[in-house]
Amino acid sequence: MSERIYARTPRRRQIDGWRWAGRFFLVFMLIYTAVPMVWMLLTSIKSGFAAMAFPPEWWPSEPTLASYEKLLDPQSSVGQDFLRFFWNSLIVSTLTTILAVLVAVPAAYAFSRFTFPGRQFLFFSVLLRNMFPAVIFLVPLFILMRFLGLVNTHGSLVLTYLTFGLPLAIWLLKGFYDNIPVQLEQAARIDGATRLQAFILIVMPLSVPGIIATAIYSFIGAWNEYIYAYTFLSKNEQLTLPVGIQRFFSENTTDFPGLMAASFMMSVPVVVLFLVLQRYFVRALTEGAVKH
Amino acid sequence: MAQVVLKNLMKTYGPVYAVKDVSLTVKDGEFVALVGPSGCGKTTTLNLVAGLIPITSGDIFIGERVVNDLDPKDRDIAMVFQNYALYPNKTVYKNLAFPLQMRRMASSEIDQKVREAARMLDIGHLLERRPRELSGGQQQRVALGRALVRDPAVFLMDEPLSNLDAKLRVQMRSEIKRFHQDFDATIIYVTHDQLEAVTMADKMAVMNGGLLQQYDTPAQVFANPVNLFVASFIGSPAMSLIPLEASTVDGRTVLTSAEGWTLKLTDENARKVQNATSKKVVLGARHSTIRLHDRQVDASVPAKVYTVEPTGDVTFVQVFLSGAIVNISLPPTVDTRPDQQVWLEFDQARIHLFDAETELALHV
Repeated sequence: MSERIYARTPRRRQIDGWRWAGRFFLVFMLIYTAVPMVWMLLTSIKSGFAAMAFPPEWWPSEPTLASYEKLLDPQSSVGQDFLRFFWNSLIVSTLTTILAVLVAVPAAYAFSRFTFPGRQFLFFSVLLRNMFPAVIFLVPLFILMRFLGLVNTHGSLVLTYLTFGLPLAIWLLKGFYDNIPVQLEQAARIDGATRLQAFILIVMPLSVPGIIATAIYSFIGAWNEYIYAYTFLSKNEQLTLPVGIQRFFSENTTDFPGLMAASFMMSVPVVVLFLVLQRYFVRALTEGAVKH
Repeated sequence: MAQVVLKNLMKTYGPVYAVKDVSLTVKDGEFVALVGPSGCGKTTTLNLVAGLIPITSGDIFIGERVVNDLDPKDRDIAMVFQNYALYPNKTVYKNLAFPLQMRRMASSEIDQKVREAARMLDIGHLLERRPRELSGGQQQRVALGRALVRDPAVFLMDEPLSNLDAKLRVQMRSEIKRFHQDFDATIIYVTHDQLEAVTMADKMAVMNGGLLQQYDTPAQVFANPVNLFVASFIGSPAMSLIPLEASTVDGRTVLTSAEGWTLKLTDENARKVQNATSKKVVLGARHSTIRLHDRQVDASVPAKVYTVEPTGDVTFVQVFLSGAIVNISLPPTVDTRPDQQVWLEFDQARIHLFDAETELALHV
C-alpha cells in the first residue's frame, strides 16, 4: 500500500511540471496577443502630443475621446471618410459572406453526398488556388478585372475574396456534412420528405454551427484584406477600411491616436461577431449530437 | 399492410454484383429476415426496396404497385435504422410527428396519433426529451414509434438491435416479435445474426455473395440446408463439415477418410452419395446428433478431443476428425479431457451429405 503511494509520487510531480510549463506558455501567449491591443486602445485615448512622448506614457495622463469623436462625426471630413470606408468594408464583407455561404453549402453537400464523374478531381482542384500565395494572382486578376470592366468597383473585390474564401469554406463544410449520418436524410426521405426537404429540414439545422464558422471565416478574410483592395480601387469614395486607414500616415505627421482609434473600431465587428456566435463554435466542437 | 414481391432484382456497381437475381415474395403480415455475412447484399436489397438506391434491373412490387422508380416517400414504407437515425435536433414528440407533418395531416390528428404510438411503446413520459437524452433501448423504441405512427404498408428494419448491449438485445428481440404479432405487420428485417433471424422470423432469406441461397422457414432452413454455405452459416455452434471420399466395399457404399477409417452408409444415404458428381462428399452433422464414446462401438470413428467448453447447461466439445473440427454437445456430467482418444457415432437419419464439387446438398 505505502509502496504504491511512494511509487506514484514522482510521476505526479512530473505531470505538475508540464502543467506549469503549459500555464506559463498560455500566459505568455496571452500577453503576446493582448499587449498590442491594449497599447492600441491606450494610444487611441491619448492626445496627439502625448502619443509621441518619450519615454512613453504608460497610462494616458489626460485621457480623451477626441479621436473617436472626430472619426464618428459625420460633419468633419475625417469622419465622413471613415464612416464611408466602414460602410464600404461592411458591404464588401457581407456580400462576400452571403455569396460564399450560398455557394459553399450546396457545393460541400454535393461533394459529401453524391458521386459524380470528376468529383475527386473537382474537389482537389478547388484547393489549387490555395497552393499559391495570394500576391501571385494580383496582376493576372487585375488584368482580368480590367477586361471585365470591374476595376474600381466593389464587385471586383467580392469576386476576388470569393476565390480565396470558397475553397476553405467548401472543405470546412464538407467535413460537417460528412459527420452527419446519411441515414438521417434517408429516414427523412422515407418519412415523406423530398431530397430537398430532407436537406433543408434535417441537414441544414444540424449544420448551422458549420455554416456560422464558415461565414465568420469568410467575413474576417474579406474584412481584413488589404493588398487587393489597394490595387483594385483608386477612388476615395470606394476605399475599404484597411486601405482607408493608411491615409492617417499620408499627412506630414502621423495622427497616431486617430489611427489607433480607427484600428480599434475596425476590430469591433470581428470581436462582436465572435462573442455573439462563440457558443456555436463551442457547440460545434462539443456536441455529440449524433451517435455513430 | 401489403405483400412485397422481388422479381429478378439486380444491383451492380460497375462490374460488381451487389445483388444478383434475387426473387422472393414476402406475404402480407409476414416477418422475413434477410440474413447473411457482411457484404452479402442484404442491406443493399433492403435499400433497394426502400428506394434509397436505384435498382439496376428487375421489379419490386409493394402491394399491387410496381415501385421501381418511385421516391422513398411514395412507397408507403417505414424504416428502422441500425443507428436509429432519430433527428437529433427534434424532441421525441417532433420525431414521431415528422412523418405525419410531411403528409400534411391536421395537427390535432397528429397529436392523437403521436400520443397513441407513444402509449403503445411506453415512451409517453419521454416526449419532450431529445434523442441524446435517451438510453439505447429508449432510442430504439422511439425509432419503432416513428415507423409505427404512420401505419405503413411495410416495415423495413436494418439491424435494429446490433447497437444494443447483449441483455437489452434479447429484451428488444421479444418486443419486436410482439410488435409483429400485435400489428400483423409485414416486416423485412436485415441481420447478420442468424440467431435473431431464427428466433424472430416467419421466414428467412439466407444470402451470400449477392445471391439468395435459401428462402424458407427457419425450421426448414435449419433442417434442410440447400448447400454448404447455408449449412455452415445457420446454427450455433455451426454444423460440422467433414470432407470425405465415397467408395464401395463389399458391395456397400462407404465414406473413407484420409485418416484411414471408413463409415458404412445406410441405404438412403448411399443413394444420395450415388447422385454426387464426383467421389468427393462432405458429411455434415449438427452438434446434438453426434454421440461421443470413450471406446470403440459399432459404426463409430476415431477422433481426438481438442477443447472442452463448459457453458453450464451443456458442455461443447471440439474434436479433431479427418482434418476438420467437429462440435459435439454433451451433458455437463460427462467427463472429457483435451487430447483424449474418443469415438464418434453419427445419427445417420440426421446427417447431411453435400457434393464437394457443386457444394449442393445431396438428395435421394
